Amino acid sequence: MIHTIAEITGNLKALQGGLGCLGAAFGVGFVGTRAAEAVGRNPGAFGKILVIGILGMAFAEAIAFYALFLGNY
Amino acid sequence: MSRFNKFLALPLLVAATNLPAAAEGSGVAPMAEPLFRVGGLPVTNSMIMSWVVAIGLILVIRLVAGKPKLIPSRGQAVVERLIESLMEIIEPIVGPKAIKASRPLLLALFTFILLQNWSGLIPGVGTIMMRSRATGEWMEIARPGNADMNGTFALAFVSLFVGTWIILRYAGVKAILFDIFGNKADKRDVPAALYYPMFLIFFLVGLLDVISIMFRPISLSFRLYGNIFGGENLIHSMYGIFKWGLPVPFYFMELLVGFVQAFVFTLLVSVYIGLICNHEGGGHDGEAAHH
Repeated sequence: MIHTIAEITGNLKALQGGLGCLGAAFGVGFVGTRAAEAVGRNPGAFGKILVIGILGMAFAEAIAFYALFLGNY
Repeated sequence: MSRFNKFLALPLLVAATNLPAAAEGSGVAPMAEPLFRVGGLPVTNSMIMSWVVAIGLILVIRLVAGKPKLIPSRGQAVVERLIESLMEIIEPIVGPKAIKASRPLLLALFTFILLQNWSGLIPGVGTIMMRSRATGEWMEIARPGNADMNGTFALAFVSLFVGTWIILRYAGVKAILFDIFGNKADKRDVPAALYYPMFLIFFLVGLLDVISIMFRPISLSFRLYGNIFGGENLIHSMYGIFKWGLPVPFYFMELLVGFVQAFVFTLLVSVYIGLICNHEGGGHDGEAAHH
């Protein structure tokens, strides 16, 4: 079934990149959700939560680049 | 038959929107193309852009700040304010022992990476093209320095090298070995029958930790390369799809992404230093950053 989808879109490499980016999108979304929630509970800690949120998003987004560039070319 | 058509429509739509971009040949090559060779070593367009940014940065800071005086001139005050605001965020992470040695590294990393990321947005970078002598296709004369894996790997390698030196100098080999392999269970809280097997468990965890530490330069370089190269590629593809005005929102997104990636690179290097050197309690937030 994966091969069917890949044949329809024509590109197995694109599927690899797409799945990686899907995971990264979910990861970044989770970090953003919890960060917004944390700021809502404690608005004074906005600066610290911002730093941790940006750090978490950068880590989650890096996985997408592994999938895009580290896979078999 | 209609169910099959619905299943087919979305991927075909996606494939169709790729066609104009691919047909125009827009999109950036993953590797920087050499412009000329100096004694057998190629000089690529990314390298030239990084030299321009580096020389520009040195000249601007020297001209603006001049000779530092006790009563600052206006330019010197601006530069000092920028340095202070960055150090405010980084100092709690690195800790007081290593801050003196790591301050030049982190400042230089932040400003250099920031200007390199934003250099792709200067008009002319990435758009003035010439015919490549090697392949005969169009290539850019100038290209952001971080849109090439060599540039980002050099930055990651330098920060790995200097970070290791700083850790060895300010914490010592013993502290590193204890942090990676040491038994962190408290002898008073844990019964003896459990305490001694913990040595084995922490040793195995330490082996995994070594692999994760060795992965850090790769992760740093890939994150920066992917973001900046992806942004460059995105703007070129948007240009290929619809020339008049479509790249503009992505241009502003590149501004934001450039700043965030420079900040994240600096923050991560400071966390890697601070994990070992900072033991006043503030460093333990960074433990969650172990990738």
